[in-house]
Amino acid sequence: MIYLGAFYAYPLYRNLDLSLRSYTVRSFVHGGAPFAGLDNYRTVFADPTFWPALTRTVVFTVVCLAFQFSIGMALALFFRRHFPLSATLRAVFLVPWLLPLIVSASSWSWMLNSESGVVNAALRALGAGPVNWLTDPRWALVSVIIANIWIGIPFNLVVLYSGLQAVPPEIHEAAALDGASGWQRFRWVTFPLLRPVSAITILLGLVYTLKVFDIIWIMTRGGPADASTTLATWSYRLGFGSLLPRFGPGAAVGNLLIVMALVCGLVYIRVQRGQAR
Amino acid sequence: MRNSSISRRAAGCALFAVALTALAGGCSDAGPPSSGASAQEFTIWDPYPQFDNSSDWVKLLTKCGTDAGVTVKRTGFDTTDLTTKALLAAQQGNSPDVLIVDNPVVSTLAEAGVLTTTDDTKVDTATIEPNLLAAGQLDGKTYGVPIGANTLALYYNKKVLDAAKVDPTTIKDWASLTAALAKVKAVGKKGITFSAIGTEEGSFQFLPWFWGSGAGLTQLDSPQAVSALTLWTDWLKNGYAPNSVINNTQTTSWQEFASGAYAFAENGTWQLANAKKTGFEYGIIPIPSSTGGTAPAPTGGEFVTAPVRDDTGRYATSAKLIACLTSSDNAYTTDTTLSYIAATDAVQGKQVAANPDLKVWVDAVKAAKGRTSDNLGTKYPKISEPLWGAFQAALSGGKSPQDALKAAQTTAAASTK
Amino acid sequence: MRRALTTVAGLVLTAAMLFPVYWMINVSFTKDTDMRADPPHLFPSDGTLEGYRAVLDQQLPYLGTSLLVGLGTVAVTLALAAPAGYSLAKLRPRGGGVLSFILLIAQMIPGIIMAMGFYAIYLRAGILNSVAGLILADSTIAVPFGVLIFAAFMSGIPEELTNAALIDGASRWRTFVSVILPVSRNAIVTVSLFAFLWAWSDFVFAATLDGGGEHQPITLGIYHYIGNNNQQWNAIMATAVVASIPATLLLILAQRYVAAGVTAGAVKD
Repeated sequence: MIYLGAFYAYPLYRNLDLSLRSYTVRSFVHGGAPFAGLDNYRTVFADPTFWPALTRTVVFTVVCLAFQFSIGMALALFFRRHFPLSATLRAVFLVPWLLPLIVSASSWSWMLNSESGVVNAALRALGAGPVNWLTDPRWALVSVIIANIWIGIPFNLVVLYSGLQAVPPEIHEAAALDGASGWQRFRWVTFPLLRPVSAITILLGLVYTLKVFDIIWIMTRGGPADASTTLATWSYRLGFGSLLPRFGPGAAVGNLLIVMALVCGLVYIRVQRGQAR
Repeated sequence: MRNSSISRRAAGCALFAVALTALAGGCSDAGPPSSGASAQEFTIWDPYPQFDNSSDWVKLLTKCGTDAGVTVKRTGFDTTDLTTKALLAAQQGNSPDVLIVDNPVVSTLAEAGVLTTTDDTKVDTATIEPNLLAAGQLDGKTYGVPIGANTLALYYNKKVLDAAKVDPTTIKDWASLTAALAKVKAVGKKGITFSAIGTEEGSFQFLPWFWGSGAGLTQLDSPQAVSALTLWTDWLKNGYAPNSVINNTQTTSWQEFASGAYAFAENGTWQLANAKKTGFEYGIIPIPSSTGGTAPAPTGGEFVTAPVRDDTGRYATSAKLIACLTSSDNAYTTDTTLSYIAATDAVQGKQVAANPDLKVWVDAVKAAKGRTSDNLGTKYPKISEPLWGAFQAALSGGKSPQDALKAAQTTAAASTK
Repeated sequence: MRRALTTVAGLVLTAAMLFPVYWMINVSFTKDTDMRADPPHLFPSDGTLEGYRAVLDQQLPYLGTSLLVGLGTVAVTLALAAPAGYSLAKLRPRGGGVLSFILLIAQMIPGIIMAMGFYAIYLRAGILNSVAGLILADSTIAVPFGVLIFAAFMSGIPEELTNAALIDGASRWRTFVSVILPVSRNAIVTVSLFAFLWAWSDFVFAATLDGGGEHQPITLGIYHYIGNNNQQWNAIMATAVVASIPATLLLILAQRYVAAGVTAGAVKD
């Protein structure tokens, strides 16, 4: 609890405080920023960047989650069959997580570069025209989604795999004896048993996806012309991305993200209660 | 674990509340004077993390400390982190004695009250070139000394130009440059690469064209400004510049040029050392302005500043350190290491004498202009951000140059009111 | 035969997954002049070892620090998260829902804001630029995750198991240590893995809290190659490659252990 207080409540308090006062760089250093109530929030809502950024955040999060979870689940089921090298390969799957984000995101932007990227070279070899992955407003969001799915797969794989390990094999065997097919076994036996773990995986995935900013920032800086700006990158840009930090609106956007996570958390708890009963 | 859950929770909540109030209270205090640095230890922060303790730069810092009779504790930060770090440290009363920051940040930090003026510290700035010093001036006060300067010019690949039968000396204005690009494209080579990324870096690269058209930062949608942006968008449309510029950093753009396929690259003084490593013959011409002559490019490079400290007695030594770092001999060494142009006429002369190639850069630096000059100060960031939004929108085809700049002007005008 | 086929499929999947990693390795060997060659070189045929030379000269001490920070973070995270997850899942304290909620929100705070908060605290506490401080900070990323994961896994443990122990007269704590923990091995491994990985790849905390420290993790070592005007990409990528080798080995070993443990458990049942 002390730990919680010191390490979470204080930053949270700071963020709230930042968002409710009208900070300039001067008052950030010397204190005495006037209390501005919800002014920062009003500024944020009135900004033409806000609604498109919100829409993109939702799209980004939903698409990423759907793919990460289903690919992660498929891989977890795949690795569940023990075959030669399975443990090693599973470990190697985690390598993307070992890389500092600046490196993995840069690798992606390297591969997707419209002039010299390997992806376009491959497309050309297949006879297709090049795609301006990172510089075309229609593709930029798709590109960062692909990269983010890639980064999120190991997380889903590991958690779901451990979850699968906890499902006793006898149940499976019993179901198999009853003549259930592979899909039926998954649908009616494995999946329900995996529900608590799945729920928490999705919830955590949601939280992490909502706040993803490094990948987008490194790959496109939210560009071109805001085409891949989500609330998280926008918050970062307001607070730290330019020469003159605007902490107030930056923190306000950050808090809106927290509220979004909160709503999803409520849904989670509802679902969990429903299960407990 | 053995206690009942309720009492455990109550205790936890109490502690939680105590921790919270203690921290919240602690936050509003001014904070104890820094005990991190003893009287004899002086802290210096710089944005050169690439230099480790065995580098000339750190040796110079140590030597300047010894000369001033103190020990120096130096930390190198990534340049984007340094602004935040300096603000945080100032908030906590833990500023370094000497802080070296990128020039457009100086006015932000000055506005925040983090920096002392050269009047406070009695640092002499008489020999510094006025156009370079201007980036560190706000409302008639000077907040630091440039350690050196860099700016932008056009690198060209001699082989590509020869193949296209282009004589670089004939490029004097935009029309002749565009004509040269057309010839290059006609022989199957690539034209020009630059960085139009949606950050300060992109604005930095756009400004020579923007200023070179005769436009000013207080009026982003002037016809001149539109002509500058149209120049860029037409290059992209005609295939003279690659589409990747929209997302290029200056490093990426340099790597494209280094591949040998491009005729021109807009890049900075700092690439000189790398240019020698490319293995092809290169040359440098100043960026032309719209109707001829050298366009004013923005100045880059860092300022040596002295942050405000509670113990004003330390300023005298800080001033000695700053004087040492910016003195002629040391500035010469530092600027050579960093591949920068010196900030004083005397040292510039020395640099050209040692390396005649630098002549074009010295001229470019003399013609250059600080981004925060014209007393724009902290208004500059509020103008730069809409500006990069505008060229991103126009280059990616979202808006016409006219519309994009008009929207940018509306935003900039609203936020600088 | 089928098993062999599965292995082949696994290899193919892994290869697809690791292509970006391969690209990183490719770049780490590439000369500056070839980095943006068009078309790109699939193999660094005319490569350079410049990046690696720079890294091996300068970066090895950073690796040790990263390892220490990673393992320290695992220890702190497990010590805090396992009991907390247990109490959340099994003791069901009132307000448990609220607590999970706070944990969730805690995850949402942007790292940089957390770092700014810590900076103030650490400065007063005098643990700025220390390895211990960094471990503590890194554990804050992993602890909420750990608690939630432990809670999710432990809620699946049958009540009969704990009740039996309690009836035998074991205390809550004993039950936890000797009954709950052994059966939650999967959760422990999962949480440890992520705690380690997060700490290993953390950048924001390291930069803010350990920027001036004597012992810096490998992620900060990358800064050596990011100057304020240009970046040495082959050295950056080489650092990442060198940094990931020991960690990958560690992961493979850990996974082996887990797999062995799981099968052993299955046989015993």
